Amino acid sequence: MPAVQDTIDRVRKIDVDQYKYGFETEIEMDKAPKGLSEDTIRFISKKKDEPQWMLEWRLEAFRRWLTLEEPTWARVNYPKIDFQDIYYYAAPKSTPGPTSLEEVDPELLKVYEKLGIPLKEQEILAGVQKPKAEADEFDEAGDNVYKSGRVAVDAVFDSVSVVTTFKKELAQAGVIFCSISEAIREHPELVKKYLGTVVPTTDNYYATLNSAVFTDGSFVFVPKGVRCPMELSTYFRINEKNTGQFERTLIICEDGAYVSYLEGCTAPQRDENQLHAAVVELVALDDAEIKYSTVQNWYPGDAQGKGGIYNFVTKRGDCRGKNSKISWTQVETGSAITWKYPSCILRGDNSRGEFYSIAVSNGYQQVDSGTKMLHLGKNTSSRIISKGIAAGFSQNTYRGQVSAHRKAENARNFTQCDSLLIGEDCGAHTVPYIEAKNSSAQFEHEATTSKISEDQLFYVMQRGIPQEEAIALIVNGFVKEVIQELPMEFAVEAQKLIGISLEGSVG
Amino acid sequence: MNMHATPQRTAAETALIDAFGERLSLLPGDGEVMVKRDDAIEALKAGLPTKRIESWHYTDLRRLLTSVPAHDGAVQAKAIAPLLEGSTVLSALNGATAGKLPSIEGVTVQSLAEKLTDGSFAPALDPYGFDDAIGALNTAFVADGYFVDIADGTEPETPLELQNVQAGGQTHMRFPVRVGTGAKATIVERQTGEGAALVSSVSQLVLGDDAEVLWLIVQEQPDTATHLAQFKAKLGKNSKLTLFLMNAGGKLVRQEIIVDAAGEGAVFTLRGINLLAGDTHTDVTMVLDHSVPHTSSTEVIRNVVTGKARGVFQGRINVAQYAQKTDAKMACNTLLLSDDGEFSAKPELEIFADDVQCGHGATVTEIDHNHLFYLMARGIDEKTARGLLVKAFVAEVIEELEVEPVVEALEALLDGWFQTHG
Repeated sequence: MPAVQDTIDRVRKIDVDQYKYGFETEIEMDKAPKGLSEDTIRFISKKKDEPQWMLEWRLEAFRRWLTLEEPTWARVNYPKIDFQDIYYYAAPKSTPGPTSLEEVDPELLKVYEKLGIPLKEQEILAGVQKPKAEADEFDEAGDNVYKSGRVAVDAVFDSVSVVTTFKKELAQAGVIFCSISEAIREHPELVKKYLGTVVPTTDNYYATLNSAVFTDGSFVFVPKGVRCPMELSTYFRINEKNTGQFERTLIICEDGAYVSYLEGCTAPQRDENQLHAAVVELVALDDAEIKYSTVQNWYPGDAQGKGGIYNFVTKRGDCRGKNSKISWTQVETGSAITWKYPSCILRGDNSRGEFYSIAVSNGYQQVDSGTKMLHLGKNTSSRIISKGIAAGFSQNTYRGQVSAHRKAENARNFTQCDSLLIGEDCGAHTVPYIEAKNSSAQFEHEATTSKISEDQLFYVMQRGIPQEEAIALIVNGFVKEVIQELPMEFAVEAQKLIGISLEGSVG
Repeated sequence: MNMHATPQRTAAETALIDAFGERLSLLPGDGEVMVKRDDAIEALKAGLPTKRIESWHYTDLRRLLTSVPAHDGAVQAKAIAPLLEGSTVLSALNGATAGKLPSIEGVTVQSLAEKLTDGSFAPALDPYGFDDAIGALNTAFVADGYFVDIADGTEPETPLELQNVQAGGQTHMRFPVRVGTGAKATIVERQTGEGAALVSSVSQLVLGDDAEVLWLIVQEQPDTATHLAQFKAKLGKNSKLTLFLMNAGGKLVRQEIIVDAAGEGAVFTLRGINLLAGDTHTDVTMVLDHSVPHTSSTEVIRNVVTGKARGVFQGRINVAQYAQKTDAKMACNTLLLSDDGEFSAKPELEIFADDVQCGHGATVTEIDHNHLFYLMARGIDEKTARGLLVKAFVAEVIEELEVEPVVEALEALLDGWFQTHG
């Protein structure tokens, strides 16, 4: 078959080395000594000016971590990580105050330029240099009314939130959006109440490590009845060599509140593997809704599979209240290794969890990703749509769990996971766990694995569309169900990223 | 074996190890067989598998196997009437072959004890991959069984029935069957008995090129028995294996199905019914390898869960990198009829070839209320209506077998089960 041969050739030719966002910004860093010990943790805590309870919390997690073993059940292979060979804290020395935007290091602003993503965030950051124009815009919009499509950015440059925009506007609506360090200082009561309640410090190896050494991340609090007036966004960037990035994100939606949160990632090119072990906790109370979208495009390693980010993330949402809803949407195109299972605990009656995922792997990438839907309350429902695309020499695994507990009457789940294989050296795997302990539960799971259908390809090409475009069209159709769940700006970027990731293999 | 070192042995583990010491001198086998037995018991000494072992995730054998009965030579087990009329019956009663070996043209039957004693069976005792606890248990203790060889091009006139009947104690049997090139056969494997026996049974089928086999496993152990079974098959070129499995008994049951579609054009079909009642724990675990191009398989498992029963289905389809043009489909459908029951399914696909069509589906649900309403609106009472629907749900799988006497015999078994448990 010409199509297959052609595709194989393209995969062989693919130059995964041409990482579009591979650059390094030279900003002086302030580092903790290499290695992990109680002293490192005290150093981080002190740097962050944290209260004593926070330090205790970290130390407890660290002691727990020492007793844990690195998990090996995921379908990923990598050399053993030397946790003593990592810097656990790196902060840009010229950290400007988060409120005075003019003080932002021009180097930092250049980073955003280099990102070259045609997103609202770009405009907003450009606007940062012209605050007056921005202010005019607000005046036009009037009090508390925001133009649609506006996005607030909490940029994480290595480990410290350097700039937070739109904070005041959000504050007017009563929304707290700041770095987690700031939240620990400014809103300790909220942090104390919710931190670690979804992902406890004892949860798993990487989450426990994160609890001990997390350096920054975002904190969002949407009070009762408030619909967050804009989409919130964070850009993560891992910059300094050998710096583990340990982000901690905590999002709380009180009764009837709504927030849409966007997370996007790029990282510069590196020789050595970098570790990223983040924890994201979402709490949705009665009638609240959280929509969490991710576009992940970290450095996947070079053509020989050297380098690249290790992405070991624990993401979990707790539908704590009645009628609450949490929706995860992810587009995973980067990282050498992805180990990520955004989950929903459907505790509240009538709560709903959703998981939409596109995982594209090429080169020597290894992806082991999926979700958990734990049905605990009555009349809970969940939906899982997972699309995996494997090309090159990559391994792409979906691993998911759906369970209904004894009292989870009328639990309902629909799962669909489809895999597309491009080239004969890659692998696609599906490992679902379906556990029903209630007779009124209704679970449906289906999975398919195939290559691009010859019939479809023929049909499209017969209409005069070149093969490369035809394949791109079909792949786009394959992932459409997930793309349409993304916020508009993200959808544009996601499509672009999928294109870049499969460049040379599907166009 | 990759089993976790356990600080303290459970009563069952100790009993097994002690039993090995006591039984060793009575077990048949030459030096090579004895080495295999020693290796197997060493593997068991590392501990029975726990839920931390992925392939035993839902059946924590270490926790579930609470007691191991001693070997009991005194109990008597009786042969049963064959499932299919006119079958040639090979009975294994309480762990030993019984009766005269039949003489069928083109079919060689030997007692396995003989083949163990002369050592010719030693190579076939190797464990399957890692975590093969059933294989290890059986290898350590296997005392007897039947070795059946169906010559090339032969088609025995009557079905062959392998009976494994116990009346208590421990029995460990093996049934290796070789079906030659172009041969055709129907083989019934019956697993039954009475009392609280611990049974391990391994069937090993080698299918020659162009061979065709219909193999029926009917497991009706009493609700006090522990039944650990393995069915291993290797399929030759253009061969066809249809495996039917029915689990309708046992306290703790694990049936492993390990199939290697190793010849181009091989076709594997699995149809299974699990009828779970009382407080049984029944686990069906399948590992299917598509190792060469152009092989196909379909698997349909239907489960009915009542009472406090726990059901497990794990099905893994592996498609090797060079096994292009594989066509594999698997479905596992469960009717969960009781709030005290539970069912866990783990259908896995592990695919390294790109030009394939693979899929699986799994559902767990209650009886469809619309269907129930439809029947009840026609004056059928709820109990009868439910019974009809549940039966139809599983009978569908039997009907697919198409061979009339087989379908009738299995439907009779089904009726029997529904009469006692409906």
